[in-house]
Amino acid sequence: MKQSETTSLVAERGKWGYTWPLWTTLLLHLLAVFLFTAGFLLTRTELPHRSHCSDVSHSPCLSSNNGSCWTKPAANRLVLVVLDALRFDFVAPSTFFAESKPWMDRLQVLKNVASARPLSARIFKAIADPPTTSLQRLKGLTTGGLPTFVDVGNSFGAPAIVEDNFINQLVLNGKKVVMMGDDTWTQLFPHHFERSYPYPSFNVKDLHTVDNGCIDHLLPSLYEEDWDVLIAHFLGVDHAGHIFGVDSAPMIEKLEQYNTILERVIEVLENQSGPGKSHENTLLVVMGDHGQTLNGDHGGGSAEEVETAIFAMSFKKPISSVPPEFDSCSCQLDLDGKNVCVSSMQQLDFAVTVSALLGIPFPYGSIGHINPELYALGADSWNLDASQKLSESDIWMQNYANALCINSWQVKRYVDAYSASSAVGFSNDDLSRIASVYAQAENHWSHSTKKLLLDIQNDSDTLVPALKRQIDAYFKFLTTVSELARSKWTEFDLKMMGTGIGIMLISLIFQFLTILRANKQHGETLSSSGNSWVITGSVFTFFLLGIRACSFLSNSYILEEGKVANFLLSTSGIVALRQSVIKGKALIESIGFLILSTFCRFVIEVGLSKQAATSAFMKDYTSWIVNIASGLVVWDYAAEVVPMLALILLAAWLYNVTSGSFFDWPWKYVILGTILSYVLIIVHWITDSNKFGVALMAESIGRNYIPRIVYAIALGQLLLLGFGQLFMKNCLDYKANLVAKTTAMLSAWSSTVILLSGKQGPMVAFASIVGGYFIMKFVDIEGGKQGPHRSFSILQWSLSATCLFFCSGHWCAFDGLRYGAAFIGFEEFVLVRQAILLAIDTFGFSIILPVFGLPFLIATKYEANLGKHFLFTQLSQMYTTYGLITAITTTFTILCVTIQRRHLMVWGLFAPKFVFDVFNLILTDVLICLASIYYFDQGKDDPELKPSVAE
Amino acid sequence: MDRRKSSEKTTWKASTMVPSPPISASEAFIVNTLCVLVLVFAFWVANSLYSINLVTDPSLTLFFIWITELPIVTLLYSRYRRNRQRCTYLGAVGRGVLGVPVGALLNFLGAVALGAPVTLQYLPKTVNWALMMSMFTTVPASCVLGSSWADWRRIFAQTKPNGSIEYLLCLPAHGAVIGAWFGAWPMPLDWERPWQEWPISVSYGAIAGYLVALVASLGFVLACGRPQNIKRE
Repeated sequence: MKQSETTSLVAERGKWGYTWPLWTTLLLHLLAVFLFTAGFLLTRTELPHRSHCSDVSHSPCLSSNNGSCWTKPAANRLVLVVLDALRFDFVAPSTFFAESKPWMDRLQVLKNVASARPLSARIFKAIADPPTTSLQRLKGLTTGGLPTFVDVGNSFGAPAIVEDNFINQLVLNGKKVVMMGDDTWTQLFPHHFERSYPYPSFNVKDLHTVDNGCIDHLLPSLYEEDWDVLIAHFLGVDHAGHIFGVDSAPMIEKLEQYNTILERVIEVLENQSGPGKSHENTLLVVMGDHGQTLNGDHGGGSAEEVETAIFAMSFKKPISSVPPEFDSCSCQLDLDGKNVCVSSMQQLDFAVTVSALLGIPFPYGSIGHINPELYALGADSWNLDASQKLSESDIWMQNYANALCINSWQVKRYVDAYSASSAVGFSNDDLSRIASVYAQAENHWSHSTKKLLLDIQNDSDTLVPALKRQIDAYFKFLTTVSELARSKWTEFDLKMMGTGIGIMLISLIFQFLTILRANKQHGETLSSSGNSWVITGSVFTFFLLGIRACSFLSNSYILEEGKVANFLLSTSGIVALRQSVIKGKALIESIGFLILSTFCRFVIEVGLSKQAATSAFMKDYTSWIVNIASGLVVWDYAAEVVPMLALILLAAWLYNVTSGSFFDWPWKYVILGTILSYVLIIVHWITDSNKFGVALMAESIGRNYIPRIVYAIALGQLLLLGFGQLFMKNCLDYKANLVAKTTAMLSAWSSTVILLSGKQGPMVAFASIVGGYFIMKFVDIEGGKQGPHRSFSILQWSLSATCLFFCSGHWCAFDGLRYGAAFIGFEEFVLVRQAILLAIDTFGFSIILPVFGLPFLIATKYEANLGKHFLFTQLSQMYTTYGLITAITTTFTILCVTIQRRHLMVWGLFAPKFVFDVFNLILTDVLICLASIYYFDQGKDDPELKPSVAE
Repeated sequence: MDRRKSSEKTTWKASTMVPSPPISASEAFIVNTLCVLVLVFAFWVANSLYSINLVTDPSLTLFFIWITELPIVTLLYSRYRRNRQRCTYLGAVGRGVLGVPVGALLNFLGAVALGAPVTLQYLPKTVNWALMMSMFTTVPASCVLGSSWADWRRIFAQTKPNGSIEYLLCLPAHGAVIGAWFGAWPMPLDWERPWQEWPISVSYGAIAGYLVALVASLGFVLACGRPQNIKRE
């Protein structure tokens, strides 16, 4: 009687009856995440205004009378050489640092010139603002503004810059710009260049294409006269860093190559710099857009990533030096005993300073100030007014004061326009503070300095102190604005964020109610397992989950998330051990689980030490394991051979397990396909490695075609599974059916995931299989046979998934992504394809496999065939629980990000964690929904139960 | 760091369930007070004679703690041994001493599983910490219970102490382990205090948990001692 009820229930409810909560959850989460992200990551309004030559007449400053635009031009041509990811210590002499490293002192030419001609050539330490990705930096460099985090999201799409910028001003003022190198420039400025020679920038494995293209066009162009500004963007150092790291032979080769090129560039410019020649008034700037860590990563805000270098040189005979009070340089003897001076500036100031030197209007949205030392390189072009009885440095100061006047007026104009047009601009307090500082400076200008400047008969005794005071006042104003902008320019929309959090909480309650409802449906089975452990287990699950969720409220715990997750996993293992002692069974499994989590712990520690090498926030984290593992040749061979052996074992195991009778045709072929893929992966590794010296086939074939075949097989397997889903008639009972389906699904994914994870793949796969097996065994000791409470096992499942994320060498930061994985099998960059591969690599072991493998927890639990309805209710309940666990941790991350939104590390640490977690949540939800389509099939009722329906 | 790791024992032996003699509240109070006094004494020795403490020299301080606790704990708890007919007082002391390395090993493994550093530099600290934990967890129990697996399982895995003496075994052991587990929490924080190093905060946690549990166990002895006695009669 009961059976007939349940089967009719299945017929009534159909697939949707079980899966609608999952879909609703997905929708709720999508909505919540969308709203929150819109409030959190949208931060700065881009103003469409442009600066114009005529604007300057509105300013109180002296407008020049000789036809120039805003400032008197000091240079008429500019050669801008951008070396991507140029660390400061590539340029500065090694004596500036505590230790001399192999990559230092390679760009000899720059420091030689700087020491030989200290007045006309200078090295700067340039401090960039994070995020330190090329696109963001180019935007910042040209607009003189602060890029915001949302631009990182656009970084993959590279949209044209809408704001006013330096390149735009050049074009508006009739200057011709030639560009060569990184094609990001042509994406940012699609219609600005007179000529351009762009080369694709995204293929990190390619060290030479962009650079050789630059070299081919750079030197010939120097002799041509059809341009005013030449931009050459070299990418080799960035790519060498990404692939080999800073301390590597390719990096040093690249730097030495740059050294020769720069030598030749300087030589050519020097030769052409005589009076009347084409480079008489040329400024050469060699700069980095950002730095890089020793691993070659960048994007964050650590000192190594933020500190880059600017070298600037003018080819006229030097005349004056900057007054010492505006000079920030520090000098040291280099290894050859020459005195080299290095100044410091903000990258933010680059746009406005170069605009001032070239005499074009400053970009509308620039908030930098004109750097005195860089501006001084153009000092000798202003010796026009011979009538004045002032020294050259006084004339310079006079010019500088006027330029700063225009600069301050322009910044004030921008701040006013910004607060007028943006809904949430600066606060009134801040605005009035800025206004008062500006009024003070301007007052001084109009009442004393301007008069003094206009009165030519003044001597320097009265003028110079007034000028200095004036410059200080402007400095004060400009620093106030840039500090304010840095601290407040993240314009959070708290209403949107609040709504997002609210919906997130509603979704949590919804999920929780769904679980409770399912429990109620199992009222009769619940009562049969009146075990105290059911309650203790649930309480303990909530306790561990609560601790894990709360740990996201502190930056320290986020940094060491891998260790924290492992700590909790081990704790759950110990509790499981205790439980198995009580029950007197599964003892070996629980001890094995503990050993596995201990093993995981060591692997995570290795990963953490790798992270510490790049992270700004983790200092002095040295791992003893790395010390042991490095420097032994045996290890190298073991590292090559062991993964292959592991993969062979994996294939054999898979074959053995699935040779059972209940594997029907579609699944049989899927498994065979996976085994074939494994063999192909081994072949791929053998051909890829140079240790074995076997040339089975042409290298390029092995490198690209084998991975593609593996991807194709995986795709085919998934299609086959879908096909089988549609047309297969089930002749098995549902439990066996579920096991077969799960195994097939996992094996279809496994080959791609293992291939992308590289050599560690098989080991991690083994760890996940063994871990999964142990957790399945724990289901036995948890609750009664029929008990619907498996929250503890599901938590363990989720914790081990998190541990696997860290075990496979990832962490929640953008430099924790393994970009190399995106290029396995492909040389060129296609956004969608590479993004998918990167996502599979990042979340393969931590989301895709665990979510699809979850039905094992049910399938192994029930000996008897309990019918479809029971199984499906259980399954949907379990997926809801898993989703709830992920949702709770993500909710806490979101809360944490909201609370810490003014924290120093918000863009460096919390925002990446937020992006990872949100992506994690959505991917989990989507996969759960897909899994529900796959596992809840509409097929006919269980044949064994049919007779009972007839009754 | 560790959690209820002490729950398993190696030998399986059918327990004859000869109850240990009941312990009166005053006696329990004396035992607990002595344990606390010894702990204080160990700290005093370390502090005044060697002018060290847990933060400056954790290894040596932990050594003092467990070496002074060892005689007191074994001598005190052996008085309440099971199976008095078959086991002499000295035998109980002997098995208590045997319980030291076993408990230390279990605590050591548990700590490593949960993330204790395993460098050579940390090895003496971890070993001494494990020995101290062994004093708090397994040594009293091995003096009293011997190698009866069923009793061990009942007290430590099921947490169902039966009789006043078993409260004295069960609660402090759990308190020490849970305290140590919570003591590990401040370790990753970036406060850069010297006590965040392994195993200092964990030892503080363990000692704090142990002390709290000692007081709690006295309460349980007071509350449950009478009904237990009545039941036995």
